[in-house]
This record gives sequence, structure tokens and C-alpha cells, in this order.
Amino acid sequence: MRAWAVVRIAAVCALATAALGCATVAQNRRGRLADPMMRLDDEPLDAYRQQKMYTTREGAAGGDGTTAGGGCGCQ
Amino acid sequence: MGRRRAAAAAASDLARLAVRCACVVACVALTAGRARADGAGLSDDAILGPPRAQSAPSLRLASVTSRMTAFEQDGRGYQSQAGPALGPGSERLTVFEPQIDAVLKHGDRFTHRVFVPVDVITAASPDAIDRARRPPDVLSGASRHNEAGTVDWTATYRADRATQTDVSLRNGLHLEEDFRSWHGGLAVSRAFADGATVVSASALEVLDWFDRFDITGHRHGRTSRSSTTGGAGVTQILTPTTIVAASYGVTVQTGELGNTWNSVPLAASARGPEILPPVRVRHAIVGKASQALPWNGALRVHYRFYSDTWGIAAHSAEGMLLQRVAPFLYVGALLRVHRQTGADFYTTFAGIPAARRTADSDLAPLDSRTVGGKVVSDLPLDGPGPRLLHLEIGYERYSRSNDLWMNVLTCATGYVF
Repeated sequence: MRAWAVVRIAAVCALATAALGCATVAQNRRGRLADPMMRLDDEPLDAYRQQKMYTTREGAAGGDGTTAGGGCGCQ
Repeated sequence: MGRRRAAAAAASDLARLAVRCACVVACVALTAGRARADGAGLSDDAILGPPRAQSAPSLRLASVTSRMTAFEQDGRGYQSQAGPALGPGSERLTVFEPQIDAVLKHGDRFTHRVFVPVDVITAASPDAIDRARRPPDVLSGASRHNEAGTVDWTATYRADRATQTDVSLRNGLHLEEDFRSWHGGLAVSRAFADGATVVSASALEVLDWFDRFDITGHRHGRTSRSSTTGGAGVTQILTPTTIVAASYGVTVQTGELGNTWNSVPLAASARGPEILPPVRVRHAIVGKASQALPWNGALRVHYRFYSDTWGIAAHSAEGMLLQRVAPFLYVGALLRVHRQTGADFYTTFAGIPAARRTADSDLAPLDSRTVGGKVVSDLPLDGPGPRLLHLEIGYERYSRSNDLWMNVLTCATGYVF
């Protein structure tokens, strides 16, 4: 039941995001987005470090592409 | 006179020979020209194949980055035996984590990312297993100073330039004292609306194969677990200063889902092993946004909702405020908060007949908070070598409501070519 609720929320989020994207931003207006500060994700090594730090200290790893297993006897 | 005539005749012969050679060369050239004209529908590339770029080698290093991180952790948890009989025991831990990451371009379609993190760990909790007697296993001795390493290789192929369709294949291996892990995955992404929207999907399989111990540190053969993850996501440029992303993923885990040496305080003033379900299904929804700020700054926010079949539901929210202070330098401040409910069978004092039980502090109901900051510099370089030098230093303080804290110091150096 909880899983279905999660799936429904995910579907709504995806649809909302897609709907917001109906107006396309021209490529010559995306210069600000190229700034490294605007990256949605951290630099890969930093992202891995943070991911491992949280997945080994909180019981909420996995489900979003993280490995959720492997190494240091973590679950 | 006779000599002069002979010399003139010889010169005349040479001249005729030269004229004949010129005629032959001209004929050959004309013939070649006709042949080329006959094949005018084919380009040079079609006949000879695409030229190998002389300016850009077929395999070249695009960037290389190294990072060194030190974790210093202290705290107490009921799964640890490094303390009183009924706990909680110490979770003191020191980790040094050197990492290196290299990106290589192969032609104009292939990108390879090779990533090697190494962990050097000292841990109080497994060390304490051998208090009563020296165990014969490798783990309890080795864990006083445990090294673990991973090699992760992702190869990405640009299948279609117009739609920026990428296909990625990921493989990796993890080696630890008693632990072997392999992972492999596939990911696909495609851009729409002139690159303003990117849709992606991925699958990842992780197989862990490791020693089974009892809580006194004795080895009982090998055991394994499998983690299968599937996910999909979308990234969208909303405005010239706003970009957002959303993703959903599910992970199904089966097999031995504990580390096998965690213990649980029992009613009889003794400790017993964890008893965990053999299956765990995890769901996560992630939303991210990045907004440029008018004063040459940026705000990044990240929210994650998590739920699994063990009864844990978690909310994690993170915000990072970044400010450019010079063309080559910016600083960032981080705040992350996390709240989770505990596993249905979490306890700090279990009855012996309990069907499921764990005292692992990671599975307890808890709140955590991370505050930190970083300074990042991207220095442009002159000359034919690398064009950018990346320098970064950061500090984070992590604290958990159930008696655990950690200091993290990290620094990175990299070149972009």
C-alpha cells in the first residue's frame, strides 16, 4: 500500500515537471546554467563520498540509483 | 664537329624522352581525373573512411581528479559490543578515503569514466568481538585496520547526436578483507526540446559475497546478497536561471541483509545475533532544483522521500547556498536535515523468542543534521596542457540524535584538459 502511494507521488512529480517544461528556454539563454555552481549534482567524487557517509549511518539507502549494498558490511 | 653532332643527338633523345614521360604522366593524370569524375557521387570520406582527426587523438584524457577525505566518528550504539554487556557500545571509527576519478574521451562518441575509491578504516565495534578469546577468523583481526577498494568503470556511447541519446554501461568490483562485491548496470538518457528536457532510465545489479560470522567473531562459511535497482528520472530547464530534476527508483534486496556480527541485547543479560527479514524493498523519490541568484550566487535544494518494507520512512532535505567571490573562486554553505522512523523490529532490549530483531543504531528512529562549507577554485591555465586547475577544500559536521557525531574534512585537486 505504501509502495503504491510512493509510485503515485512519483508519477505526479514527473507529470508536474514535464508540464513545467512546455516552454523551451533557447540555448543562447542558458549561459547562466553552465556555471559549475548551478550543477544539480556534486562533483562525482564528492557525491560518492556523501552517499557513502549517509548510507552507512542512516537506514534509508537505495532506491535512487545508489548501490544499497557492498562494502564495509553495510546493509 | 662529330662530337657536337653526337652531343646534340643525345640531347635531342633526352628531350624526346622527357616529352614522352610528360605525356604518360599527363595521360595518367587525365585518366585519374576521369575516374574521380565517374565517382563524383562518393565523397573522399565514403571511399577512404572518415579521416582520423589529427588535432584530437582518438583516446584522450578529458579530466582527472583526486580527493582525500578523513572521517572521525564517535558515538554509541546497541549493536556494538565495545562497551557494557547490554550496551550501548562504542561506534568510534576513523576513515581515510583517497579517491581518484578519470574521464577519457574516445573519438567523439565514447566517454569513459574510471573511478577508484579506497577506504582505510579503523573500527571499534568489530574489534571488540574478540574480548573474550582471540578469534580464528580474518575479520576481527583485520578490522582493526581494514582496507577496502573499488574500481568502477562507466562507458557511455553517444548513440544519436541530434537527440543527445546516450547509452551507458557500468561495471565495478569491490574488494575488502572478507568481502567481494560486483556491480553492473545499464543506463539510457535522451534529450528533448532542444536539450531542455532530459529523460533517463537505469538498472543496476549488485552482488555481495562475504564471510558469515557469529557475534563472537567466528567464521561460518560464506553468504551473499543481491540488490537490484531500477530507476527513471527527468531533468528540466525551467527558465534561464532555474533547472529542476525528479527521479524515482526501487531497490529489491534479497539474501543476508546484515553484516552478521551485529548483536542485540537480550533479556537474559546476554547478547544474541540480529535476525533480519531476507527481503527488503526500498523506494525513493528525489527532487532537486538549482536557482541562480541575482548577486552572482546560486541556491541548490534537494529533497528525498524514502520508504521500505522494513517499516522505515525517511525525509531528507538539503540546501546549499553558493556565492561567487571572484571569477575563479566560489564558496558554499551546506545544511542537511534527515528524519527517519525506525525499523518495525528495532529494539534495544529483545526478548529471546523474537522472530525479528535488530539493535543497529542506523535502523533506529533518528534525526540527523549536517552543517558544512566549502571553498572551490577553478583556475584557468595557459599553454598546451590542461586548461583548468580545480582545487577544493571542505568541512562538514554530522550529528545524529541517537548519540553519534562525525567530523569530515575533504580536499580535492583536479585538472580539466
